Amino acid sequence: MIEFERHILSNGLKVIVHYDDSTPMVTTNLLYDTGSRDEDPEATGFAHLFEHLMFEGSDNVPVFDTPVMLAGGENNAFTNNDITNYYITLPANNLEIALWLESDRMVGLDLSENRLMNQKSVVTEEFRQRYLNQPYGDLLLLLRPLAYKVHPYMWSAIGKDISHIAKAGSDRVRQFYQKHYTPSAAILSIAGSSKPDDIFMMAEKWFGDLPSSEKIVRVLPQEPPQKERREITVYRDVPAAQLLMAFHTGGRESRDFYILDLLTDILSGCDSGRFPSLLVRKKELFSEADIYLSGEIDPGLVIFSGRLKNGTDIKKAEAAVMNELGRIATEAVTTAELDKARNRYESIRLLSYLSASNKAFNLAFHELLGDANGINTEIDRYMSVTAEEITDSSSRTFTPDNCNVIYYLPETK
Amino acid sequence: MKRLTVKQPPVIITPSAGETLFPETARLSNGVPVYLLGKGTVDLLRIEFVLNAGQQMEKVHMAASTTNAMLTEGTVKHDAITINDLIDSTGTMLNHTADKETASMVMITLSRKLEEVAALAEEVLFHPSFPETEFRMLIDKRVQSFLTSRQKTSVIGREEFYRALCGNNNPYGRITKLDDYNSLTTLATAEFHSLYYKPDNMYITVAGRDPEQALPVLEKYFSGNGTGAWHEPEIPRFLFEPAEPGRIFSEVSNSVQSAVRLGWKGITRNHPDYQGLQVASMILGGYFGSRLMRNIREDKGYTYGINSVVGAFHGAGYIVIITEVANGYREETIREIKKEIIDLCINEVSNDELNIVRNHFMGEIARMFDGPFNSAETIRSIIDNNCGHDYFSRFVETVKTITPGKIKELFNTYFIIDNAFEIIAGAK
Repeated sequence: MIEFERHILSNGLKVIVHYDDSTPMVTTNLLYDTGSRDEDPEATGFAHLFEHLMFEGSDNVPVFDTPVMLAGGENNAFTNNDITNYYITLPANNLEIALWLESDRMVGLDLSENRLMNQKSVVTEEFRQRYLNQPYGDLLLLLRPLAYKVHPYMWSAIGKDISHIAKAGSDRVRQFYQKHYTPSAAILSIAGSSKPDDIFMMAEKWFGDLPSSEKIVRVLPQEPPQKERREITVYRDVPAAQLLMAFHTGGRESRDFYILDLLTDILSGCDSGRFPSLLVRKKELFSEADIYLSGEIDPGLVIFSGRLKNGTDIKKAEAAVMNELGRIATEAVTTAELDKARNRYESIRLLSYLSASNKAFNLAFHELLGDANGINTEIDRYMSVTAEEITDSSSRTFTPDNCNVIYYLPETK
Repeated sequence: MKRLTVKQPPVIITPSAGETLFPETARLSNGVPVYLLGKGTVDLLRIEFVLNAGQQMEKVHMAASTTNAMLTEGTVKHDAITINDLIDSTGTMLNHTADKETASMVMITLSRKLEEVAALAEEVLFHPSFPETEFRMLIDKRVQSFLTSRQKTSVIGREEFYRALCGNNNPYGRITKLDDYNSLTTLATAEFHSLYYKPDNMYITVAGRDPEQALPVLEKYFSGNGTGAWHEPEIPRFLFEPAEPGRIFSEVSNSVQSAVRLGWKGITRNHPDYQGLQVASMILGGYFGSRLMRNIREDKGYTYGINSVVGAFHGAGYIVIITEVANGYREETIREIKKEIIDLCINEVSNDELNIVRNHFMGEIARMFDGPFNSAETIRSIIDNNCGHDYFSRFVETVKTITPGKIKELFNTYFIIDNAFEIIAGAK
């Protein structure tokens, strides 16, 4: 049980506090309810560009990193399709430094032209390093526009086209900041050995006087049900073929999410899962075979990803995967498989409790979903999944019409 | 949007590294050391077995990593699928790897499954059967990932640097060739296993809540089975044959970025300058606001990241600056790296800059000892590198007392531009 207290400031900032005296540290996790799904289709990659700009200094902080380092802290951030998340972990007696820094960049970010120019260049190098200069690096960039035709999940956090970043003008950048970086769009979650009462007082001091702004109501086009199988083939300079198959499923709060999360663990969560045992070891079709949930808040994807053994026919490999998924949809998983998945879930959950920063993030994320206490109640949502639910959910999900396939093949030289 | 009132920034409290004590050591009746790291807050135990069975001990190239990977591919009692199923069913998270110097197996397990898991650990560590089918599948998979790695500029850059530093006949410098996979056999791995996977050649760490509970269980499964009394690990000595300093270029066709490494032979962890050198390297390129990050990323925008690293093997150390830049920026990047080094050789750093790094290290050490699981990883680095149980208390002293004059001296001694290896891996 993760105990916490919650307080909402008058400007709408939600503050969640979890006390843990087993660590000398404290983590502040500031989650902004802004991701790449909130971008204009003609100006994608902005949420992620902002993650970079947020480290470039603000009104009272010329270099963001210096006070963090002087306080003995470390910090980082990430952006995905749903959120932009910033965290600082530092000795508990320096907590106020983190609050000062976060409040300063929430209200007075330095958006000067040279900062912007430079980070546009850094992000372009990041794009090259992570997506272009890695074998198989562009797989997920290819998947999104195939699987989504309407919903903004059709582009990745790095952006639909890297030229959008190169073209990002300072007016648009300023508008994005004013719209999305506000107290009411943020959740501040703090975990560690600082006392809740002290934290609430400090939060009031550093965030209480930030002007409130209207909470944005998000209206996104919902992806209509997919009616027929989609398929693309690409050729790349890689030594082995990769098969990607993605099926639409429910959102993060749907029952299907919990059912399929447990199911994907049964299929490929560990070395004795069905896919490593059957598709890799017994049939020797793949050298690696993995299935996982993309995990977005709006309806997401279940993604199968397998590296083919040399000599395997990709159609035959695909048929074998469909066959296994079909079996899941018709025959109940065994009690032993369910027990294994439950034991594994218990270990993984307890392991996450060992890290204050992990707890801070998870509390913030559940608060975004509707209630921070979800961190506690979701245990039941996992443990109560039955074999029948798995069969039912699989039969609805793993159908040929709901499938998006990428054949990622080696160039013939 | 503007803040309504102006406020004084809070005062920064100088961080402290906290306790850096080496943990209590128990011993099994055959002498195997068991390091206990308590104060856990959940009912999970992290048990790690560390064996002196790394690459440095091998006669056949890759025997160490292959032997380690084969541990869970079948035992004398169970085939591969069954043994993995038995381990996974307990909810245990298992990880086993071999590196240049040691081999290890880590199990993070529910405390209530301890007895069951210890029995399985004994089975995979000491009674693997090295079946041919699984062996062949493993080699096929490794060949595939080897071929993939040939297209990664960062991997090629790293290999070329270690080769330049150590020479091709040294296990730290040797570059794997496709042919090497053909020379590997189950016989070679079984032989490697029989020589080095023995209780007298290992130690154990147990971290979590009430780690003492593991002692009777470990005694039951790991106190027999040895060939003799526990002994300190034997460390072989190797010849280091570094290349001539200067440019080494490796072509990786079609790459859009190049890996750049600028590096030197360094010193081992027991050298009196080692800890000071870590401080110097941090100033140059160890953090977001470091000299290199500010210049090459934040000012020029040439890269997503650039780092300076100080490290050491048994018998030799190294210093290396690592980055990946667009092909067209690489010469300019190398020029700017050299410029930053020359500046640190001529001018002393300010106390303000040094304090940033000092405080950062204090926080870093506190995090390394934050909780039993982190502490277990930290003490492993102390044991494996044989750098003394007081390594971190000495490090704290060094960081607190090092002067700008000493930092300048270290740059002049160890970062000599003319002696650098300049590695580039990328398109022509």
